[in-house]
Amino acid sequence: MRALIAAATGLVLAFALVLLITAMGSPSAETSPEPLLTTVPSHP
Amino acid sequence: MRRKASLILLALAVFFAALSPLLRWYAFPRVAKVPADQYQDMVLEAKDATLLDYGSMTAKKVDKVTVVQTLKGNVEASERIERTANRDVVVWDGLSYVQGPDGEMVSRIPERYIFDAHTQEPVHATGESVDGDPVRREGIEFKWPFLTEKRDYEYFDAQARITEPIHYKGTQNFRGVDVYYFEQTIPWTKVPFPKVMPVEGITAESVAKTGTTRWYTTVRKFWVEPVTGAPVYGEEIHREELRGGTLLGDRDKVTAFAGHVKMREDYIRSTVDLVKSQRLLVALMSSYLPWGFLVLGVGLLALSLYLEARSRRPGDPSPTQSREPEPLSA
Repeated sequence: MRALIAAATGLVLAFALVLLITAMGSPSAETSPEPLLTTVPSHP
Repeated sequence: MRRKASLILLALAVFFAALSPLLRWYAFPRVAKVPADQYQDMVLEAKDATLLDYGSMTAKKVDKVTVVQTLKGNVEASERIERTANRDVVVWDGLSYVQGPDGEMVSRIPERYIFDAHTQEPVHATGESVDGDPVRREGIEFKWPFLTEKRDYEYFDAQARITEPIHYKGTQNFRGVDVYYFEQTIPWTKVPFPKVMPVEGITAESVAKTGTTRWYTTVRKFWVEPVTGAPVYGEEIHREELRGGTLLGDRDKVTAFAGHVKMREDYIRSTVDLVKSQRLLVALMSSYLPWGFLVLGVGLLALSLYLEARSRRPGDPSPTQSREPEPLSA
């Protein structure tokens, strides 16, 4: 019974961690102020 | 004590063993995505190319034609589309600006490419366009999906505004990176004139009135890093002709452009470095961590079972048993 509880605890923690990672989402982003280029850049 | 340790190890074993597939098949497809705010420029060159001189309407050899390609993630537009599309969307506003050897503009083609941030499948929404004309892409463009497969993909050609297969032609090593090589051939196809022409006073409409048409063919080559789906190198053998109409006089056709377009060396180096660093992040989520957790889970399970077995050995004194005190006799 104690082995079952230990295994269930590990499983629940794994699900919780994965759900937390996916729920975090990505940080807010902004459109770059850089222009669409009409000149040849000298370097990347 | 051993029983307690074996139970803790069992919990950890199940935790890591479960985390392995969850990370690979649940978290990875949801977390790995193209950022909406990406900005990227690229310079390609065609050396010893042929270019049309619009003054004399004849094809001339030139030292170099340069293509400057910019892709800019439009965050506001992607957020607007996400509200109705109900998925993560990336909107790339792009510009292909072609410059002749004298620095003058040869052509400028803007486009808007809308796609799913996770799968790179095209998303159809208002604004999807090439050179101001609405289009409906059915294939990928610029970038392959994460974990690219060894198979043909549908690839959108912005000049012809058509989607054609791009064929997987094998695995190669490009500057220390294992890549999949893809090739697409667009046969001679009639294509629209660019909205902005290189000579002032000439418009796409005025050329069309002469009956002259524009034709194009290309062989497109991409070397794609399969984990990120990012091309590390690209080439195009590109030809354009003007055919028929009064603009050409008594000639049937004239070459408007012919050249072998290749990425500039400094951009190749920077792209390879960028893709190598991104590859590590994607490989961590898709491969290294899931496999590592699985091995760790199995190892912890074996250790837990070993401790459990040792705690149950018949010869060992049981920690729970207490000896009865023997009666003393006087």
